[in-house]
Amino acid sequence: MTAVARRRREYGGRFKYALLLPAVIWVIAFTFLPVLSVIRYSFANYVLGEGVTGYVGFANYLDVLTSDQFWHSIAVTAIYVAITVPVETILGFIAAWLVNLGAPGSRGFRTIIGAPLFTLEVAIGYLGVTMFSSQGGVVAVALSAIGIDVPWMSTPEGGLAAAILLDIWRWTSFIFLIVLAALSSIPSDLYDAAILDAKSHWQVMWRLGIPLAWPVASIAILLRTIEGLKVFAIPFALTTGGPGTSTQTFSAMDYLTTIQFFDFGKGSAMGVAFLIIVSAIITVFFRQMRKRLD
Amino acid sequence: MINVLWLRSSLLSRAIVYLLLIAAAVFTLIPFLWAMVNSIKTSTDTFQPGAVIPFVNFQPTLDSWREVLSDPQATNAFISSVVVSLGTTIFALILGVPAAYALARFRFPIGGADITLWFLSQRVLPPAVVLVPFYLLLVNLGLIDTWTGLIFCYSTFNLAFAVVIMRDIFRDVSSEIEDAAKVEGATPWQVFWKISLPLSMDGLVVTSVLIFAFSWNEALFASALTSQSATTFAALVLASRSTRGVDFNVASVNTLIGIVPPVILYFFVQRYLARGLSFGAVKG
Repeated sequence: MTAVARRRREYGGRFKYALLLPAVIWVIAFTFLPVLSVIRYSFANYVLGEGVTGYVGFANYLDVLTSDQFWHSIAVTAIYVAITVPVETILGFIAAWLVNLGAPGSRGFRTIIGAPLFTLEVAIGYLGVTMFSSQGGVVAVALSAIGIDVPWMSTPEGGLAAAILLDIWRWTSFIFLIVLAALSSIPSDLYDAAILDAKSHWQVMWRLGIPLAWPVASIAILLRTIEGLKVFAIPFALTTGGPGTSTQTFSAMDYLTTIQFFDFGKGSAMGVAFLIIVSAIITVFFRQMRKRLD
Repeated sequence: MINVLWLRSSLLSRAIVYLLLIAAAVFTLIPFLWAMVNSIKTSTDTFQPGAVIPFVNFQPTLDSWREVLSDPQATNAFISSVVVSLGTTIFALILGVPAAYALARFRFPIGGADITLWFLSQRVLPPAVVLVPFYLLLVNLGLIDTWTGLIFCYSTFNLAFAVVIMRDIFRDVSSEIEDAAKVEGATPWQVFWKISLPLSMDGLVVTSVLIFAFSWNEALFASALTSQSATTFAALVLASRSTRGVDFNVASVNTLIGIVPPVILYFFVQRYLARGLSFGAVKG
């Protein structure tokens, strides 16, 4: 430890704990205690109005893990994230790179391309129903004019594809704004140096832009992945999980189980099972992040 | 600022850049334009192929706008959303910013990066998972269907943003300025409140906008934890399907009205976005 660091440590004293502890206590009270009670419910038989009537061991888990609906919703969520996050990252990065060139009019483009981040996802989902309708929906009609006829709203694949397109529309702006912020703080002499070495614009982007934007972009990708795994509003508003339950994401299914059918035991078991699956994915990400945060 | 790359570009590559930017802008604008057109259609015209241009293809009407604007439920929900989003922003900052500062400036027995990740880890919880305990918790506290209940709830989720983003911002503030203040005899609190915080204002503004936008957008908890008096706009929009089937024209109006408050904020803070959102990672 350097002398400065040691002095800081002493300097902090009780003060640093006074700053940190309220937030820590809040998170423990409002996140970790709820999680503990979710774990408890997952082993319980919960009856609405009576509360926990008894414990059933792993019966809820068995129910969940042997249900096709659970695994189907996991698959839908996985497909959703596997497509939206990379596409949003690539589109967001390219758009940010182009806007960052600072061509006349860039500000206007920045404003427009960033705007979807501030829309209501549920409203966008409902709007999507009309956009993808085969009866005069703007997207369906435009695509069918160039020979792409997709039964958007009547098939599982079409419904999921429509939800994914809307998600890309809504969330590319998030990656865009974050990467743009990172790119715009690159000092211009770095560009000068890169131009001398590089043969093409493409090379400058590849060698300078991507490496410098990566630390920030990786946080954005992590946040998008986390949010994507929890996706609810857009697909739910667009298809209500239908036809049948074919486009139900995990969050939508868990929501219906717990809130509509008040099956708290099964809903909690579902949640814990999902959390375990997701944690495995996120831990890999967090290892990467840890280096960045130090 | 014009990038050197642009200045060195040929006419052809400039044209390509503009083409791509225009394509992106069109892609972005289509749903907005579609919402505008649909908001002045009748429900019969909504699913009418070819009804695209007002007055030419269909007779526009302001009925849907009137319906939403004169609906007291919609007005209440709108007010709820503003109050809850603002309340969340303030409360999450009050909790998160000091913690972020502590993690940026001081050493703890557990590493600052680990504590930061711990804060972030609670965002991994799927919302539906914590819905039940939150529901029961708010019932016990008597906060079901109240603004306070929602604010508590949303602050919990958004605390992670406040901590992660602001920690990076504070790490960018030069410690030399702080050291100078200490030499002058400033207390740690004064250093934080009078020096570091004002120097981090741009980051603070951006964090606020993000938290506001996320709270504004949230529909799942809002519809589960409120029933009437505290229903937010997002929850109202979500619920419109079950109450009377989706009225797609009203949904279009809602799309447009729903974007207004966060976008107003966005316009105000655009110039701050550059620094705040970079998480301080790229240093010039």
